[in-house]
Amino acid sequence: MEVVNTLVLAVLATGFLMVSRRSLDAVIRLYALQNVLLALVSFGLAKGELHFVLAGLALFVLKGVAIPWYLFWLLDRLEVSHEVEGYLSVSFSLLLAGLLTALAFRVGAVFVLPEAPLPQGVPVALSLVLLGMLSMVSRKKAISQVLGFLALENGVFLLALSESHGLPLFVELGVALDAFAAVFLAGVLIFRIKGEMGHVDTARMRALRG
Amino acid sequence: MLYGLLLLPLLVFLGRRDKGALVRLSVLLPILSALLAPLLLGQMAGPFRLDGVGLFYLLLTDLLYAVIALFARGYFSEEEAWRFYWAGGLFLGAAHGAYLAHNLGVLWIFVEGSTLASALLVYHKGGARVLEATWKYLMLGSVGIALGLIGVILVYALLSGATLDWREARALVGSANPEGLKLAFALLLVGFGTKVGLFPLQAWLPDAHAEAPGPASALLSGTLLNVAFYALLRYTALMQAAGLFPFASGLLLAFGLLSLLAAGFFLYGQKEYKRLLAYSSMEHMGLAVFALGLGLPWLALFHTLAHSLAKTLAFLGASGILALSHAKEVGRVGGLFRSLPALGVPFVLALAALGGLPPFPLFFAEFKAVEAAMRYPLLAAWYLVGLGLAFAGLLGPMTQMGFGPGRPWKAQGLDLWALWLLLAVLFLLGVRPPVEVFQALEVVLWTQ
Repeated sequence: MEVVNTLVLAVLATGFLMVSRRSLDAVIRLYALQNVLLALVSFGLAKGELHFVLAGLALFVLKGVAIPWYLFWLLDRLEVSHEVEGYLSVSFSLLLAGLLTALAFRVGAVFVLPEAPLPQGVPVALSLVLLGMLSMVSRKKAISQVLGFLALENGVFLLALSESHGLPLFVELGVALDAFAAVFLAGVLIFRIKGEMGHVDTARMRALRG
Repeated sequence: MLYGLLLLPLLVFLGRRDKGALVRLSVLLPILSALLAPLLLGQMAGPFRLDGVGLFYLLLTDLLYAVIALFARGYFSEEEAWRFYWAGGLFLGAAHGAYLAHNLGVLWIFVEGSTLASALLVYHKGGARVLEATWKYLMLGSVGIALGLIGVILVYALLSGATLDWREARALVGSANPEGLKLAFALLLVGFGTKVGLFPLQAWLPDAHAEAPGPASALLSGTLLNVAFYALLRYTALMQAAGLFPFASGLLLAFGLLSLLAAGFFLYGQKEYKRLLAYSSMEHMGLAVFALGLGLPWLALFHTLAHSLAKTLAFLGASGILALSHAKEVGRVGGLFRSLPALGVPFVLALAALGGLPPFPLFFAEFKAVEAAMRYPLLAAWYLVGLGLAFAGLLGPMTQMGFGPGRPWKAQGLDLWALWLLLAVLFLLGVRPPVEVFQALEVVLWTQ
């Protein structure tokens, strides 16, 4: 159990670093690392149950390898700067991230259900959800919003692991497939946005009002 | 067989890029599935099962889809038709999956799938405004639905990870921790409510509905909103089974009323008629949620049926007007009633129906809701204020577009009889609302 606890804390650390780094390459690598750690958490909880091993493997392949690879490929083809552009400074983002994490740990107790197999994971999962939302609203590049969404989605996955040994395998796979399709679709849209407007800055997309 | 029903819409890909074949398949496949579905009532296969409520929405979706697909024949050119019909096939498949799902997790997967497929429908050909609308839709829709997934996980954990099966969950939920269930329902309402377009989560809705090509707007408003609403119906029934309906009712009433009032304000002074229709969707989904909160699921079901028909009619009419006039603003379209009655009469009457005028079914639904809300006079008063606002917001554009000054156009190549068909059904439903059918559906929803 100690190993799993350490892993969960490491997941929280990757979530934190994703908010603070200014290079998109670093953020994507951190996202990949986060998935590897989550897969390890899944293996750690398995205790011989096949379903955890399969869910962990699917996570590792789809989200630890395929999605980061796709995002790197996208970034290369787009020919935009690899810098994260946000509305907030690094120190202010970190401060907000700290506050959100504190909030998650404060209210996390409400979310912990009596039979949760990994109660320590619940506040971390909520932190990831909140940090993902923070990335989505505070960043301008479309691709960093996708990364924020992916971090949020990882929080939901960790919540499922912590509360109830994860969802049934076929549901888990369906959810992962949906996430993959959403990211793929977002990638195609980002290409079109770049082609149409010459930038991937969602802050400058404001034709629709009222 | 249920798997067959699930995969039937995907056969549209057999049509490749041939427009004629795509139209035929897109009309015949939903009709075939509508004929097949009643025979499969009560059958189970894996995580899928078809009950009365699922059948009702499945039939509604299939039949409206067939009409829209037929109308779209004259709307899209040869080169771009395939985008609409392919994305439409994916969307119809996802909707089938959601209505057939007998498992809360599978329901979630297909609701999210329908978001992705409909994002393709909105995107269609691209362009700066459309890209912005699609991006907003994809991001907000995905985040909203992710919050819904947290709710699903909490429900699953509260059932001790025993089952996600709908019927088993209903039997077990009575012994689950009520505080946890309340939290889960709040998250589910926010999650699926984003997709239903409840205030203040509706930001994506007017953009997506206004920027999508006309027939796609009709699909989004007439059939897609129902998919998320159906999920809300299921979870409300789950809360009822757990003895927590009063809690759910409070949230539903509040969100429904807020959406009605907010939509009433947004409708006011809206210049583009497709955005107007989008806000009217927000209004009517709010009203359906309100009816559900009153403890009248049959009325909520009836409201969504009437809204789907009226809104499909209105959006098809609007897409016809846009195709002929190339003008998006209300002020640049006028005199439709006399210059182009084949299109103008059903369109203006659709607006009248959406405004809640008799003899149309939304009048009946709103009247019944006010009657039931009289138990809480303050609630009924706010409801009437909202209805009045929304009606006033629609009245101006209705008179301008129907009778006001404007250039006349000629209708070409559009299947306008589809509009008259929808109008006739709407009229019949208003004159003779089949209340017994919906009360029977309520029993199915509340007990099975």
